Amino acid sequence: MSALALGLLYGGATLLVMFLGVPIAFALGAVATLFMIGFMPASSVDTIAQNVYEEMASITLLSIPLFILKGSAIGRSRAGQDLYGALHAWLHRIPGGLGIANVFACALFAAMAGSSPATCSAIGSAGIPEMRRRGYSPGFAAGIIAAGGTLGILLPPSITMILYAVAAEQSLGRLFLAAIGPALLLVVLFSGYAMWRFRREYDAAKVLQAKTGAGSELLRDEKLTLRDKLALLPRVLPFVILLTGVMIALYGGYATPSETAGLGAVLALVLIAAIYGVWRPAQLRPILVATLRESTMLMLIIGMSLLYSYVMSYLHISQSAAQGIVDLHLSRWVLLAAILVFVVVLGFFLPPVSIILMTAPIILPPLKAAGFDLVWFGVIMTIVMELGLIHPPVGLNLFVIKNIAPDIPLRDVVWGVMPFVGLMVVAVILLCLSPGIATWLANVVMGA
Amino acid sequence: MTHIIDETQDRQPPASRDAGAPVSVLLDRINRVVVLLSSIALVIAAVVLTYSVFSRYFFHFSTDWQDELSVFLIVGAVFMSSAAIQAGRGHVAIEAVAGLLPARVNRVRMLCVDLISLLFCAYFTWKSWLLLDEAWTENFHSESTWGPPLWIPYSLMTVGMGLLSLQLLLQLGAGLAWTRRA
Repeated sequence: MSALALGLLYGGATLLVMFLGVPIAFALGAVATLFMIGFMPASSVDTIAQNVYEEMASITLLSIPLFILKGSAIGRSRAGQDLYGALHAWLHRIPGGLGIANVFACALFAAMAGSSPATCSAIGSAGIPEMRRRGYSPGFAAGIIAAGGTLGILLPPSITMILYAVAAEQSLGRLFLAAIGPALLLVVLFSGYAMWRFRREYDAAKVLQAKTGAGSELLRDEKLTLRDKLALLPRVLPFVILLTGVMIALYGGYATPSETAGLGAVLALVLIAAIYGVWRPAQLRPILVATLRESTMLMLIIGMSLLYSYVMSYLHISQSAAQGIVDLHLSRWVLLAAILVFVVVLGFFLPPVSIILMTAPIILPPLKAAGFDLVWFGVIMTIVMELGLIHPPVGLNLFVIKNIAPDIPLRDVVWGVMPFVGLMVVAVILLCLSPGIATWLANVVMGA
Repeated sequence: MTHIIDETQDRQPPASRDAGAPVSVLLDRINRVVVLLSSIALVIAAVVLTYSVFSRYFFHFSTDWQDELSVFLIVGAVFMSSAAIQAGRGHVAIEAVAGLLPARVNRVRMLCVDLISLLFCAYFTWKSWLLLDEAWTENFHSESTWGPPLWIPYSLMTVGMGLLSLQLLLQLGAGLAWTRRA
């Protein structure tokens, strides 16, 4: 059988089993095993368990559960609300400052927790009710949080980036640094939009008040004294110190990425014990169980995805597909656009983890041949996968929002999110026009 | 990227009052203990890696056992707790089709899903067992200078996948019994 026919069969079988609803980890493992039995020598089938174990026993990959532990510890404490409260106090004088405070809080929290849904639920559970109380439209409030939460997979320590580093064989430290500029760009774009949208809602409320005399919370002025503002800082500072401390440990050469993950987890547990008094076994249990649930689910998908791509490579499916794409002789940008559309479509159904591991062997060689920097592409690919988190039909963050604000109709949430989808596309275009946004910081810190 | 799974995601009828009930109760108890031990293993791994940073920085002490021990702890925790996660249907799947199908067809779909998952996991358990057997009889050790025996992680993988297969078998049995009653 030709590699093309085999590839089509492999892809078709995967789609069938996955859409049947078999858990992604078992679906990938089952299809890979079936093809190993059918098309590979018996000796290679015998090593299936060893293959999976050896792929999973990588110390870089195993930093993932520890980063999840750190995120879960911070996510289940009151840190999110405190962070949000402090930012609100400091930014409330700016027009749309409340919305901007939410974007900033999402970004900072995402950088500490490294998880998109955790960020949404930690900041959103305080932020959405507050924004609505202050007269923000429900869709707008939901949109800010859903989009702000996606920064969790872009900012370090992003689990998506760790996997990309493994799949693309790129430096994790460089990828983490390359993500910071684009994440700040997104923060600026989201904040700019929040300001503009606030102005529009504010003006509309003013017109309505002039016409009907109906007051709106949006028009109410709030004053906080400097003392109020300063009082909020002590609870937030330790977490900001944790964030910077972990980064210094990593980039100062004191710790490897996995050691950083372990150190971050231990420090997060110590901080929530010291600041919030979370240290009793009964209080720690939900944090640990949530960590275990997410890690196990994710690590099994990772292990099986690696088995899946091993089979794909052994049967020359990935090489032929990659060669096929190169042979199309597409212009650089058409190639990039086609690949990104492919990633967006996959993102509608699959979590970023599986997208990276399943597609990397096929899409990265053509991109490399076309002269694209794979670190830069990792950042672009991550932003594009963020779209899948806030875009129907799967859009995990939409459902997190639905959980914390059940009375906002899904329709409003989806429409509220759409402008942010547009802003992410703008960010991708800006990154294509000016790759330095991503590569500059990495080049300065780690050398070109 | 990350996905938090809701713990109440159980979409299948409980297995009680079926032939598998005692096994189900036993597995449930085992899962509780395993989750507790796995949680502790994760924390120990984090502490070991932290110790590694401090010992190198303060005592200029460079050892190689920390990474390997953390790998064993985490891989062990992942495989061992996979049955407990499956008990709550926590292994994420594409559910886009589920909402479009009539209830009866959907029940058949669920049976197929559990059967495919079971066949794969059982096959994987068997292959893990063969690997464990080989590592035990041939006395395989890891290639590092610390060189711990490999039967330790392999046995955790085998037992974990075995428990997962048993969990799937019980869920398949419960699904079949429910379909027959309906």
